[in-house]
Amino acid sequence: MNVNAVRSLMAIERNEAEGRGGNRRLVLRAPADWPEPAPGQFLMLHLAPPEPPRHDPLLPRPMAVYRTERRPDATLLEVLYKVVGRGTSLLAGYDPGVALPVVGPLGRGFETPGAGETALLVGGGTGIASLYGLAAAARAQADVHVLLGARHADDLMGLADFEALGVRLSLATEDGSAGHRGLVTALLERALAEADGPTRVYACGPTPMMQAVAGLAEGAGVPCTLSLENRMACGFGVCLGCAVHGPGEKLHLVCRDGPVFDTTELRVDALP
Amino acid sequence: MSAQDGTTAPAPDLSVDFAGIALRNPVLTASGTFGYGVEFGPFLDLTRLGGFVAKSLTVDPRHGNPPPRIVETPAGMLNAISLENVGVDDFVATKLPAIPDGVPVIASVFGTEIDRYAEVCKRLTGVPKVAGLEVNASCPHVKAGGIEFGQDPQALATLVAACRSATDLPLVIKLSPNVTSPAEMARVCEGEGADGIAAINTLQALEVDPETRRPALANVLGGLSGPAIRPVAQRIVFQIAQAVSIPVCGMGGITCAADAVRFLLCGATAIQVGTANYLNPEVAGEIVEGLAAYCERHGVARVADLVGALDRS
Repeated sequence: MNVNAVRSLMAIERNEAEGRGGNRRLVLRAPADWPEPAPGQFLMLHLAPPEPPRHDPLLPRPMAVYRTERRPDATLLEVLYKVVGRGTSLLAGYDPGVALPVVGPLGRGFETPGAGETALLVGGGTGIASLYGLAAAARAQADVHVLLGARHADDLMGLADFEALGVRLSLATEDGSAGHRGLVTALLERALAEADGPTRVYACGPTPMMQAVAGLAEGAGVPCTLSLENRMACGFGVCLGCAVHGPGEKLHLVCRDGPVFDTTELRVDALP
Repeated sequence: MSAQDGTTAPAPDLSVDFAGIALRNPVLTASGTFGYGVEFGPFLDLTRLGGFVAKSLTVDPRHGNPPPRIVETPAGMLNAISLENVGVDDFVATKLPAIPDGVPVIASVFGTEIDRYAEVCKRLTGVPKVAGLEVNASCPHVKAGGIEFGQDPQALATLVAACRSATDLPLVIKLSPNVTSPAEMARVCEGEGADGIAAINTLQALEVDPETRRPALANVLGGLSGPAIRPVAQRIVFQIAQAVSIPVCGMGGITCAADAVRFLLCGATAIQVGTANYLNPEVAGEIVEGLAAYCERHGVARVADLVGALDRS
């Protein structure tokens, strides 16, 4: 149960393009006492203000909480998104001042790595946004190595923020416009080979990437945690729309039981 | 607060009697969209509601369909969850105690055979907090080759009669819209002793992904809900209300108080909020407040006066 979730109307503070790849940064003005989100938690963001009523697109969109900043009079809540369809196109058109309903923070977030552990964070495409909070929270006690992959350098979400964290950062792009030319999983192979001592892998990205990451982690005998995305209507365990397969007959709800799962809880071959 | 001092009119009376269940207001939440109630605790004071209809219960716990289970469509969504639930005994033992007192709970009943429906009705009868039963007639009837109970007048009559003899609780039958004449089905229910009708369930539908050429849902077919179906639902509620003398609980795409008023005018005594609960977990409470404001604005002393008051002059 997401006992700390609340519904709030949040005015847009900023809604700006970042790079030329369609990525955007949305900064929302949340109440000062908005519940503290755990790294990896998400929110359900409505795509239209309450008035006048708008029913198409109908469903709110699940979005990772990227970062929060506490101020005396408000909490600034950042979300990174990419314009990919009707909903995100609509969102991209809103100016500062427009207020959107938000439900959150929702779901089960990441367990941060233990002291002295090596944490390999693998982000692909828009999945990168789910990992920033974990990188920020883990860097004090763990050796954090962030591996980011995308098609093109412009698609690397939040790159400057990761650089500012001071963690080890490796990049891969499919066209070679930044870092290694190829897939981020090649970087992970190398990082797993170099890692000594207790190591954990965390990943969020397209399904084929996460399946490859899970396979590499398993091969190296390293525990692996995935943050999943799925279609969902409510975000708080009621519509039952976001079910994913666990071992055997088991079905998990991404919104309530996740979005963060250990790979042992999942049938990785049957991810959405 | 008196009309005599010329400053304030008395607050409108929102209470209604639906199928023998006294409701403090006509706003209920629909089965399958409100979990077991407790999920809404962080968002909504349940005691503001007229009541709520819990997720459909079967004798044994039931797993749902494989994913993908939902897809967004224009002003609506399709779902094919297949009535995943904890089973009637677990509901009574673990879910009901978490519901605050004073909230009428209407338990939704479901089965694949008539005696299974009747068994669930029996196990819910006499249980504190259960104010009535809503029989979900949109289940494929295994022994009749998979046609839904609610699509065959004979099967529906047998089902209602069996549930009627299994319980003395107020008995409401939730009808499928996927028939030529829902009003005829409502008459069948009335004839077998039902106390009320709930309408409509989801419209059977199919969505297709043209890129993959596959159905959007693993189950292929799903149920369409949301604002897209509201005018269809209003038509059906209107027709049923004309056809029977037992009360109708109307639902289908209600998202605001104005929609609730529309259903009351079409002849619904109470209404249920469904898909809108996903979009805004506080919406049912907002609709209660909006209904009161509507009554005040229009000088309606009793919300029951709106029932069937569609002006066709």
